[in-house]
Amino acid sequence: MPKIKLENLTKRYGSLEVLHSINLEMEDAEFTVLVGPSGCGKSTTLRMIAGLESVSSGEIFIDDRAVSRLEPKERDLAMVFQDYALYPHMDVAKNMSFALRLQKRPKKEIEDKIQEVSEMLGLTDYLHRKPAELSGGQRQRVAMGRALTRNSSTFLFDEPLSNLDAKLRTQMRAELAMLRQRVQKNMIYVTHDQIEAMTLADKIVVMHSGHIQQQGTPEELFKKPANKFVAGFLGTPPMNFLDTTITQSGDQHYLEGNGFRLLCDHTTEKRLSFADSKEIVLGIRPSDLYFDSDAPAESAIDINVVLSEYIGAQSVLIGDCNGQKLMVELKSETPIALGQTLRFRVNLDAIHIFSKSTELAIG
Amino acid sequence: MAASTEKSQHPAFYAVVVMLVIMAVGPIALMFINSFKFDVDIISGTSGLLFMPTIQNYETALCDILPYEIDHLDFCALKFGGAFMNSLIIALVSTVLTLVIGCMAAYALVRFKFMGRDTVSGTTLMVRMVPPAVLLVPVFGLWNNEFCISKSSFLGGLIRDTFGGRGDVCLAGTHSGIILIYIAMNLPFVIWILQSFIVQVPRQLEEAARMDGAGPFQVFFKVVLPLIKPGLAAAAIFTFRIAWNEYLLASALSDRDTKTVPILIVNNMSEFNVEWGVIMATGVLLAIPPIIFTLFASRQIITGMTAGAVKG
Repeated sequence: MPKIKLENLTKRYGSLEVLHSINLEMEDAEFTVLVGPSGCGKSTTLRMIAGLESVSSGEIFIDDRAVSRLEPKERDLAMVFQDYALYPHMDVAKNMSFALRLQKRPKKEIEDKIQEVSEMLGLTDYLHRKPAELSGGQRQRVAMGRALTRNSSTFLFDEPLSNLDAKLRTQMRAELAMLRQRVQKNMIYVTHDQIEAMTLADKIVVMHSGHIQQQGTPEELFKKPANKFVAGFLGTPPMNFLDTTITQSGDQHYLEGNGFRLLCDHTTEKRLSFADSKEIVLGIRPSDLYFDSDAPAESAIDINVVLSEYIGAQSVLIGDCNGQKLMVELKSETPIALGQTLRFRVNLDAIHIFSKSTELAIG
Repeated sequence: MAASTEKSQHPAFYAVVVMLVIMAVGPIALMFINSFKFDVDIISGTSGLLFMPTIQNYETALCDILPYEIDHLDFCALKFGGAFMNSLIIALVSTVLTLVIGCMAAYALVRFKFMGRDTVSGTTLMVRMVPPAVLLVPVFGLWNNEFCISKSSFLGGLIRDTFGGRGDVCLAGTHSGIILIYIAMNLPFVIWILQSFIVQVPRQLEEAARMDGAGPFQVFFKVVLPLIKPGLAAAAIFTFRIAWNEYLLASALSDRDTKTVPILIVNNMSEFNVEWGVIMATGVLLAIPPIIFTLFASRQIITGMTAGAVKG
């Protein structure tokens, strides 16, 4: 039995439909990440589950109970907000115990719970500070603590790390991952950051313009993206897309595009046989292009290096192949110079093929 | 650094400051000093600061509550104690009610979507534009003739039997009648002030409270209200002072038993004699409660109440 089930969930603002019949199931103790660009409807979905946003049509089930008409307090969910949303007139302890105090729990129980959670989050020294006296990371921790003090079955996170600076975000992400191992609860996490999604999720749900594009484990989504959007969204640097035509000369099939002509091996030929037309989109991850000046022209792409972004051990080359922009990842010590034309071997096993009309993955 | 900026001030700067201080403190000082003078000294105007101080004016003003016999007075005409209580009841009750109604109305206008919200929001302040004098005649008529309970009815009879008096039981001449018109007068402005405070309360806070299991009233009283305390304090000062100082409506709507201090003061003027000393003494006494109230309420005005709530 799925813990939370969304059935044909739809959201309309007036005549504008922002969420189109979402169907989604989340198992118990599963970490689900809703990811997508801004305005894709991921936050709206979460807020509808939380009960902060009304449901236009469809239904939400929690433990097989239809909840879409219930108030948030009747759904037993805890939520962490993007902007922390701490009560500024209460100190940390009061903030974390607000829900328990509303439930009129015994004082002893509340104190024990605060003690337990503040130890878990390293907040014991700050219990009597007001939110204004805390740093961003501490505030975020309090916000999480506030959710943790409640014994909710499900935790909702609405972009909880997006307000932190890069270093703190990495640190909090790791803490969240560790926390997740200790607290075996159902968690739904919304983010636009695909790295957060990849690192934290048991299941990623990629959303785009109010539709679910694909759902699955991070690995599934990375290796077998269902369509061009998912392929381009997950992974940094993003996948390169090249307009390509399938051509044939004699027995040989070629992937031919502007400035390159790749000879297909047997497996690739088989995959191409599923294509709906000769015109396809070829997707190559920047990490699947190998710098190899000796590679034969029929298995490589020549790229003119426009820019090199040094990141440390790796560099990202931004190159140009007859007007098409390509990104390549390579070791920083590779001797290259801007303006050079370099040859990169294509790993045919790792290419992605998409239909040009439907943008769905082929093969 | 501070010393150098002080040195560089132009003399004209000090002239302006001194002028402002004189304008602000002068009348109050004058009132305070004159309240300790005999009428003769006040009217002669020659003595200035050199005079024989007396508390006789205060004795006259407070004649109905002083425990001892006052030598210079054979009859206590001035009922300051009673008027003071009236003022206090009217000002406090109308302030509290205005704030209670005002904060809820403001919250509804800011947060709830309903038909005509913008119109209501826009017109609340327009009501405030109507001068009280314009209200006086219709309200006087209504309070005296319309909002009445017949003395022959059960309730009216009961009230007349209990409290005495003659005629129908009307709003005019009661505390409630004055309180009601003060609430009506102050409410638009209070709503308007509080709206701007409520708008600043981040919506996520209310959502967080709802997620924590708070109902609409708990959200309002436990999260929103503590955060708009500065607004409530500002509105309270404003409302209290208007209710405390108001003369025109109170003079028309009060009777002998419900008149407030400002009306009492004017009673000291007759066509034959203006008792300046007593007027000044009553004025000083009148000024004390609002000062205390303002000092107390302004402590609640702290900026940055919502600091740390949300990012940004």
